[in-house]
Amino acid sequence: MMDIFSGRRFLDVICFGLLFLFIAPRLSFAQASELESLRASVKDMQQQLQKALNRIDQLEKEKANDSAKIGQVEKSIQAVQSAPSILNPAIGLVLDADIEKLGKAGGNFNFRSAELGLAASVDPYARMYAFFTGSNEGFEVEEAAAITTSLPYNLTAKGGRFFADFGRFPKYHVHELPFVNQPLSIQRMVGGESQADGAEVNYLFPTPFFLRATFGGYNKIGADNEQVSNLKPRSASRFTYLGRLSTYFDLTDNNSIELGTSLAYTPSVRLQGDASGGDRILGGVDLTYRYQPLASTLYQGFTWGSEFYNNSQRFPFDIEVPDPDDPSIVTTQTVGKRRRSYGGYSYAELKLNKNWSTGFLFDYAPVVDNPSQRTLSYSPYVTWNLSEFNRLRFQYSYLNNNFSADKAEKGNQFFVQWTTVIGAHTHGFLTR
Amino acid sequence: MKTLLRNNNLKVFFLVFTLAWLQTGMVVAQPIRVVATWPALADIARQIGKELVNVESLATGVEDAHGVPVRPSFVPRLNRADVLILIGLDDEHSWLPALLEVASNPKILPGRPGYIDCSLGISVLEAPIRIDRAEGDLHPKGNPHYLLDPVRAKIVASNIATGLTRNFPQHQQSFEKNLKTYVAELDNWIGRWEKMAVPLRGVKFVDYHPEWIYLADRFGMKLVGSVELKPGIEPTPNHIVELVQQIKQEKAQLLIYGAQNPRLPQQIASETGIKVVRLYSGGGNQPETDTYIKWIDYTVRTLVQSVS
Repeated sequence: MMDIFSGRRFLDVICFGLLFLFIAPRLSFAQASELESLRASVKDMQQQLQKALNRIDQLEKEKANDSAKIGQVEKSIQAVQSAPSILNPAIGLVLDADIEKLGKAGGNFNFRSAELGLAASVDPYARMYAFFTGSNEGFEVEEAAAITTSLPYNLTAKGGRFFADFGRFPKYHVHELPFVNQPLSIQRMVGGESQADGAEVNYLFPTPFFLRATFGGYNKIGADNEQVSNLKPRSASRFTYLGRLSTYFDLTDNNSIELGTSLAYTPSVRLQGDASGGDRILGGVDLTYRYQPLASTLYQGFTWGSEFYNNSQRFPFDIEVPDPDDPSIVTTQTVGKRRRSYGGYSYAELKLNKNWSTGFLFDYAPVVDNPSQRTLSYSPYVTWNLSEFNRLRFQYSYLNNNFSADKAEKGNQFFVQWTTVIGAHTHGFLTR
Repeated sequence: MKTLLRNNNLKVFFLVFTLAWLQTGMVVAQPIRVVATWPALADIARQIGKELVNVESLATGVEDAHGVPVRPSFVPRLNRADVLILIGLDDEHSWLPALLEVASNPKILPGRPGYIDCSLGISVLEAPIRIDRAEGDLHPKGNPHYLLDPVRAKIVASNIATGLTRNFPQHQQSFEKNLKTYVAELDNWIGRWEKMAVPLRGVKFVDYHPEWIYLADRFGMKLVGSVELKPGIEPTPNHIVELVQQIKQEKAQLLIYGAQNPRLPQQIASETGIKVVRLYSGGGNQPETDTYIKWIDYTVRTLVQSVS
C-alpha cells in the first residue's frame, strides 16, 4: 500500500485515474443505450424466471395434492372392487308398512310388502330386471322381464312378466304412488296393477316432440284379474292385446302436460257356463299437468293427474228360466250379459318444501259387473320425505258406497304409512 | 269387434298414430348432433366442434343437479343425438338413465362410442372411503362438481375433443386445432382469474351443499361447514345451532349456495352476519354465464366482490 503512494508510481496512478475519469463518461455515454437494453433484458429474464419458478412451485403443490387425492380415489375404488362380485346386479329392498284404522272394522299394523329388486345388463343387446314381493298374501314374482337395448328403427321389445303399459298409475308399484292406496277405480276396473305375462313392443316416433306407441300381447292384464288364468294355453282370440299412445309437451320452461290413451282388447273372454264368452274392451285416458319451477324443483311444484277408464265386458249371471212346457218348473241358467262401466280418479299434489308435500285424491269406482253400484272416496294426505329413501305419509280417506259394503271398505279410514328403501331402487322412466 | 270399432279410444289412437307417422317424413337429418347434459359442457363442445356441430343442452343451468326433471321432451333430442356429453361421476344419475332407457339410441348408451363421459382423467375430490347412505346422498365416485375448476375444464375440453374424434375421425384435425385454441384461451383466462382471486386465498366459507369444493381448492378458499346435515340431507335445528357457533368461532366470511332455498342461508346470515352469496352451480342460465368462460368469470368476480 505504501508503494502506491511513493514516487513515480504514485504519479502513474494519478494519471491513470484522471484518464479514466475523462474517458469513462464518454465510453458510458456511447454505450448507454446498449447497456440499458441489456439491463431491461436481464430484468425481463429475471421476471420470467421468477414467474416460471412460481409456476413450478404451484404445479408441485398441485401434484402433491393430486397424488394425495388419487390415493384417496384408489382406496375408494378398491373398496368398491373388493365387493364379492362386481358383476352382481344392482339390488334394492323396499319396505312398505302402515298402521291403519278401517272404519268400524278397527285398526291394524299392516305389513304391506317387502319388495326385492334386481337389475343389470344382460349383454350388449338387453337388460333385465325383477321385483319379488313378499306380503301377507304370500311371495310373488311381481315383475321379471328382459328389455332390448339395441333394436333398430326406434324399437324396444320387452318380454316376461311386467306391468303392461296401460294408463299411468296402473303400472306403478303401490309403494311408488303419491298416496297410500291404489285408487279403487284401478283395483276394480284394471284389476290392480297392470301386471301381465306377455310381450310388448315400443316405438318412439322420430318427431320433434315426445310421442311413443306401445303394442302388446298378454295372457291377461291385471294382477288381481281372476277371470283369466295365466297357466292354461289358449287360442289367439283369448289373449289380450294392448295399444297405447303417449305424448308430452312443455307448455313453458316450468309447465308441462302429458297425455296418454290406452286400449286393451280381449276378443274373447271365457265365461263359466257360457261357451260363447265375449270380448272385453278396457280403455283409458290419462292426463297429467305439472308445474315444476326449474330453479327450485326440489322445493316447489304442483301436479294434477287424472285418469278415466271405461270397461265393457260380459259377465256371467244366473237367471231363472221357466220350462216352456211347464212354467211352474224353473231352472237356473248362467248367461253372459254385457256391462259397461266408467270410472277414474283425479288428484292434485302441492310440494311445500324439500321434505313436505300435501295432496288430495278423489276416486270414482264402479263395480264392473253392476255399474249402478259405486264407491266415491275422498282422501287428503300429507307426505314427509325424511330423505330420498325414507318417507312417512299420513292419509285420511272417506269412502261413500251406494250399496252395502264390507265395514272395512266404508266410512272413515286413517293411515300412517312408512316406506323405506335400501340399496339401488328405481322403476325407470314409466314411473318417473 | 263392432264394439271395438265403435270405441273412441281406438279412433283417437289410430288418428294420432297416422298423423305422427306422416310427420316422420318431414324430419330433416342434421350433421353431428351433440347433446350435452349441462350448458357449460354444451359451450365447451361448441368451442371444440365449431361449425361442425349442432349442440343442445338438456338442463338449463338453473336446476339443482339432483332435481333435473325427467322430461319426456328430452327423449327425442337424445334419440337423434350422435353423441352425448355428460359430467359423469353419477352427477346425472337421478334423471339421465331413465331417459336413456326410452331414447332408443344405442349409440349413446354407457360404454358406447357416443357416450362421452367428461370425468375421465379428472383428479376427483371427496371420493368417499366409506360408502353408506348414513353419510347422506353420496356420490360413490367422488364429488362431480369439477367443472367449477377451470384447470380441470381443460381436461374436459380434451375429453370432448377425443370423444368427437372417436365418433368422427374425419374431423380430427379440426377438433385438435379448436382444442388447442380453446385451451390457450382458457390458460389466458386462468392467469387472469388467479390474479383476480388473490383476495380469496384463505377465505373461510360455508356451503349449503358440497358443490363449490373444486372452486375453493383452486383459489385457496377454506371450507369450514355445510348447511346440510349430510350431503342431500336437510339440516336439523340442532345442526343449524352448531353451524352458527362454528361460523362465529372460525370467523367464516361467506356462505355460498346455489339452487337451494334461500331461507336458511338468510336465517344464518341474520344470526352471524356472514355474507350470503348465491352462485350458479351450472352455468348458462344468465347472459353473464352463457359460456363456460363467462360463467367462471362471473363466479370468481362475484366472490371477490363479496370479500372486498
